[in-house]
Amino acid sequence: MNAIEINGISKSYGQVRAVSDVSLKVEDGEIFGLIGPDGAGKTTLFRIMTTLMLADAGNGKICGLDIVKDYFRIRKIIGYMPGKFSLYQDLSVKENLEFFATLFGTTVRENYGTIKEIYSQIEPFADRKAGKLSGGMKQKLALCCALVHKPSVLFLDEPTTGVDAVSRKDFWSMLQRIRESGVTVFVSTPYMDEAAMCDRLSMIRDGKIIGTGTPEKIVSDYPYGLLSVKGSKMYPLLKALREIDGVISCFSFGDSHHLAYDTSKTDLETILARAREAGFADCTAETATPGIEDCFMQLSGN
Amino acid sequence: MWKYLLEKEFKQFFRDPGLPKMALAFPVLMMLVFPFAVSMDIRNINLAVVDNCMSTGSARFMEKCTSSGYFRLVDLCHDPDEAMALMDANKVDAVITIMPDFDRQIGTGKGFPAGIKVNTVNGTKGSLGAQYILQCVRLYLSENGTGMQAAAAGIDISEKYYFNPTMDYKLFMIPALIVIAITMITAFLPSLNIVSEKEAGTIEQINVTPVSKTAFIVCKMIPYWVIAFFILTACLIIAWAVFGYVCRGNILWLYLFTVLDIIVMAGLGLLISNYSNNAQQAMFVIWFFAMVFMLMSGIFTPIASMPDWAQAITYVNPMRYYADAMRAIFLKGSTPVDLWYDAAGLAVLGTIAVTAAISSYRKSE
Repeated sequence: MNAIEINGISKSYGQVRAVSDVSLKVEDGEIFGLIGPDGAGKTTLFRIMTTLMLADAGNGKICGLDIVKDYFRIRKIIGYMPGKFSLYQDLSVKENLEFFATLFGTTVRENYGTIKEIYSQIEPFADRKAGKLSGGMKQKLALCCALVHKPSVLFLDEPTTGVDAVSRKDFWSMLQRIRESGVTVFVSTPYMDEAAMCDRLSMIRDGKIIGTGTPEKIVSDYPYGLLSVKGSKMYPLLKALREIDGVISCFSFGDSHHLAYDTSKTDLETILARAREAGFADCTAETATPGIEDCFMQLSGN
Repeated sequence: MWKYLLEKEFKQFFRDPGLPKMALAFPVLMMLVFPFAVSMDIRNINLAVVDNCMSTGSARFMEKCTSSGYFRLVDLCHDPDEAMALMDANKVDAVITIMPDFDRQIGTGKGFPAGIKVNTVNGTKGSLGAQYILQCVRLYLSENGTGMQAAAAGIDISEKYYFNPTMDYKLFMIPALIVIAITMITAFLPSLNIVSEKEAGTIEQINVTPVSKTAFIVCKMIPYWVIAFFILTACLIIAWAVFGYVCRGNILWLYLFTVLDIIVMAGLGLLISNYSNNAQQAMFVIWFFAMVFMLMSGIFTPIASMPDWAQAITYVNPMRYYADAMRAIFLKGSTPVDLWYDAAGLAVLGTIAVTAAISSYRKSE
């Protein structure tokens, strides 16, 4: 059975179409990523799936339960961690956890096994007010509160936004372990480099899904040749590269430019020669392996 | 589940740095400070006298005025223009001009040869000041006027005030202040609390749990209801212990009308929170309602003296009914049978407010 199955979900806010005709299938026990820039419609989709908002069109099921009709039963089997920290700042760590456990009709002790690994890291601060925790600890507490009732599906809306690189890595390894305990994880992120950590992912842009698959499949489906180009005058170089025949797209990528080209029309030598002709004598190029970000740029360009 | 929700609300309430202190200070402040501050007894009216007669009669009249306790003699002028200049400079509130033939006219009983000018920039002070002066005139005439005496006896006006024989303003204001406090606490604090959960995003976290919205909202309001009854009780005790005022009616009826008012206010508070996304919006709406409720309730100014269209507006003001009922029970000892009109008004408004609140709340789901 699919943990999540949504078909043709659309939602508009007045004139703005936030999500249009989105369909997704998430299998039981996988980490599914929703990758897209800010404003792509990720949070709207989360709110619809977690029964907080009604879609204008389309239908969906979470663990076989309809997101409109069975919303009350869904709420018992999902955990949701919104992007913004939203626990009670004036209650202590322990009180927050116990409060959310009782709302789901359970106790912390009963499900201690589920959260133990994460909770043990913040347990020394059990009596501290949630508002006085550091960012990373707040995030761990929020995760504990979302897990305390042993949900079947865990929804995480941009859990790593605003978190430092080490904590982000930590967080993803926690997700791996949560997945191993049988929980399906649906996670969104604006960071392309986190995509590789998901079992499968969908890329979303302007409310539309532009590609779905395993990270490997998405990368291997990349249809073009890819070059990493460097030169001394980066911005004029970028503009010049875009003018060359057979170049599909070129955008800056860290300290170099990633250039996609049609392999049937041109190749590395030709492009390099053209760039030098255009006055960028010190320009160098080498073949690069496409990453998720390259795929995203390619797919969103279509 | 209700138990835990309530426990959380109380925990948060007592943990708040200001709220518990406010709940304690509010009734004390209200009962010990406000009755004096909002009193409409006017004292210390600044008086200037232009005495053109300079006789013992005019001196006695002046003494009559100043000894009444309402007036403070600021200046004795010789020239009416000088007195007028003082009034223009806002130094005096009233000017009495005594004519040169004061003694003679009083003696013959032809009239009262003095002019009275009152500054009515502050309307209440002005009109009450004029009344006090006339009262002094009447007293003076009944004691000194020879020819006037017969006439004065003929038009002897005497008032008797029922239910508040000494026209004690404090006694009159105490039930009204209780009304204001309970309305603020039960309507506006819960709606601010709900809006702040909206702002913090915690309401969203609650909404994905299997907690019904009704349970969540009712548990939010219960602590404020408890506080409302605490304040009512504390105010009654202070009124008795400090001022010696005792409720003439059955205290139970006070509580009954408070429950009715709380129902209206719960609906109104929820309505406000449904349509506000942040505390700032909610504050403004609350301020608007609080002003309209208080000024159009008959608490400070009698409804009967408002123009007809304004009187019409007061019919949808819950505070009008609640204040009327509380005053009648406290001062007159009325029962709900006498006050069926107020009870019906509150019940109708309560039904409307709660229905509107629930339907708009469902829509936001």
